[in-house]
Amino acid sequence: MKVVEINDVYKTYHDTEVEVKAVNGVTLSFEKGDFAVIVGPSGSGKTTLLNLIGGLDQPTGGEIIVAGHRLSELKPSELIDFRMEHVGFVFQSYNLIPVLTASENVGFILNLQKWPKEKRKARTDEMLASVGLSDRHNSRPSQLSGGQQQRVAVARALAPRPEFILADEPTANLDTKSAETLLDIMEKLNHDEKMTFIFSTHDIRVMKRARRVITLEDGRIVSDVRVNNN
Amino acid sequence: MITSIAWKNVWRNRTRSLTVIAAVTVGVFAGVFAMAAINSSIVQRIDAAVNEELSHIQINSKEFRSSSDLKNVIPEPEKVISVLQNIPEVTRIAERIIVRGIASTSAGSTGVEITGINVGGEEEMFTLKTRLIPGTGSYFGSDTRLNSAFIGEKLAKELYIIRYILTEESFGTLEESGVPSSVAEKLKPLENQRFTTEKKLTEAITGLLSARESKEYGMMIREAAWSYREGSRIILTFLDADDNQTGAAFRICGIFRTNNDLFEAMSVFVPENELRRLTGLGEGEYHRIIARLADNDLTDRITPEVTEALPGLEVMNWKEIQTDLAMIADYMNQIYGIFMALILAALAFGIVNTMLMSVLERTRELGMLSAIGMNRRRVFSMIMLESIFLSVVGGVAGMVVSGVVIGITGHTGINLVKYSEGMEAFGYSAHLYPTIGADFFMILTVLIVITGILSAIYPARKALQLNPVEALRGE
Repeated sequence: MKVVEINDVYKTYHDTEVEVKAVNGVTLSFEKGDFAVIVGPSGSGKTTLLNLIGGLDQPTGGEIIVAGHRLSELKPSELIDFRMEHVGFVFQSYNLIPVLTASENVGFILNLQKWPKEKRKARTDEMLASVGLSDRHNSRPSQLSGGQQQRVAVARALAPRPEFILADEPTANLDTKSAETLLDIMEKLNHDEKMTFIFSTHDIRVMKRARRVITLEDGRIVSDVRVNNN
Repeated sequence: MITSIAWKNVWRNRTRSLTVIAAVTVGVFAGVFAMAAINSSIVQRIDAAVNEELSHIQINSKEFRSSSDLKNVIPEPEKVISVLQNIPEVTRIAERIIVRGIASTSAGSTGVEITGINVGGEEEMFTLKTRLIPGTGSYFGSDTRLNSAFIGEKLAKELYIIRYILTEESFGTLEESGVPSSVAEKLKPLENQRFTTEKKLTEAITGLLSARESKEYGMMIREAAWSYREGSRIILTFLDADDNQTGAAFRICGIFRTNNDLFEAMSVFVPENELRRLTGLGEGEYHRIIARLADNDLTDRITPEVTEALPGLEVMNWKEIQTDLAMIADYMNQIYGIFMALILAALAFGIVNTMLMSVLERTRELGMLSAIGMNRRRVFSMIMLESIFLSVVGGVAGMVVSGVVIGITGHTGINLVKYSEGMEAFGYSAHLYPTIGADFFMILTVLIVITGILSAIYPARKALQLNPVEALRGE
């Protein structure tokens, strides 16, 4: 079942005197349960493609369909609701809300989605347990290590049961042990909950775990390889 | 949730928030306290004018104010009294005989307005008796050997009834007041010397003491040297009802001190029967009838009622008689408005600056919030609430501090004796008892919240203009 369909998508920037084609005619789709990485050198368009898939940015050409929504047809306010309902984001620099505890950060989107308090608490507890942080409910981000913060970010992204998770360089700021722990958790969630993960990364540790590796160069797909890591 | 985050965000940078809150607190306190001090000064002046000088409504013949003819009495005074008695808001009524004349002693003379009062009823009408300077008499006491007159301190000074003598007793008073013995020693050459005016005593003191000592102890020395010879007399001269010059000696039965130099200098109160006898006015003839109302605020409503009921007479209320005072009272709302605007403008600038800094340094976080699904309305509400919290915490703290300080100073008073000469020349007390109505605090609270909301608009718009992709890159 296709979660994301990308048809001949372009993204051109005119910020400078030179026209930059960050994404140049990409056609691609992701199936439910994919554990895919998008790799490529800096400036190859990885993050731009991720932003387009997540509805953070609009393509200058082509079409992106996510969970039946044509993103180009959505208004900015509808795009925000779309992101809340369908996309989970994990950022390179964790981006937790510093004034909230781990538990409150995980429950934040559930709160925006107006989940009842009891259900929200149960889901928050479940997600914190799944990332191995049951004992850090009341810790603020500043009281957690980088690895722990990123695990909270993963729990936050997964809590509302999105269609897929977009993770932009999630391990870039983590040491080997923390990165491996995080990837173990993501792999387990992918396996147990059939959650779709789409990474953009340079990290070889992530590539080794991926079951699909898409390589971008100058905004174009140069390879799309399925790997059997089992 | 948004409320909780907004509250927590306020305390994210504790030092900055506390600095802004402290600034708002000080600003609100300064504004409210200054307002309360001005308000008290005006309220005290109005109360004094109504309670001691004018009452609320004065009724006399149409010609009386412009002419000194004693024959301008009120025709049918019983009708006036009947009209006033039928108005429930009128609490007291008094009749007066008023004569313009000259008060003199062997040392000086001056023009005065002599008011014949019903001594018994007067105490209920005016509180002037409470202004009696201790040791100057017993108001209109039982000694009826001679006509009695109750006069103001300023007039007493002009007629040289008050003198200044540093007696042995005065030096004792100075010692009790804490004046150093070295200062008292310097003043010894002045002992038992008589000074006819305060100015002459001041000049003598300045010649003996240093400038600092004169400034610090001058007032105490003048108070200690203040001297009045009990039983002093004045001669009151005026025209009687037939335009013949008449007059009599009056024993001073007391000297009153108010905050109004002009009133003190012009007013002489004598028993009505004495003045009636001297002027030859008939029984039941009065120049003026005055009425007190239950409340100052009733003045504007009751005056037209009385005017309509008494078409042939001149009916004036205290606002019409003392137009300057009425103007100040009426301008109070504008003064309130200006003060409030200044307080709120200072508050707004502080909040805008702080919120703008807060938004700009949270660019990445706001981008993230937008990315994960926090819509524009919620982002706007969050920034708005942060601003309101900052304003309200500072504003409420400022009002609490103001309330406490106004409560204390309203009880103890603020002594502005140093500036008393200038203030009392215009009828204002040198002792202020700051006061302000609860409605002022309520209005201010609402305005502070509105200011918080308005101050948040610009920073909140800035937050909404952020592009999540650029914000997440930290640009």
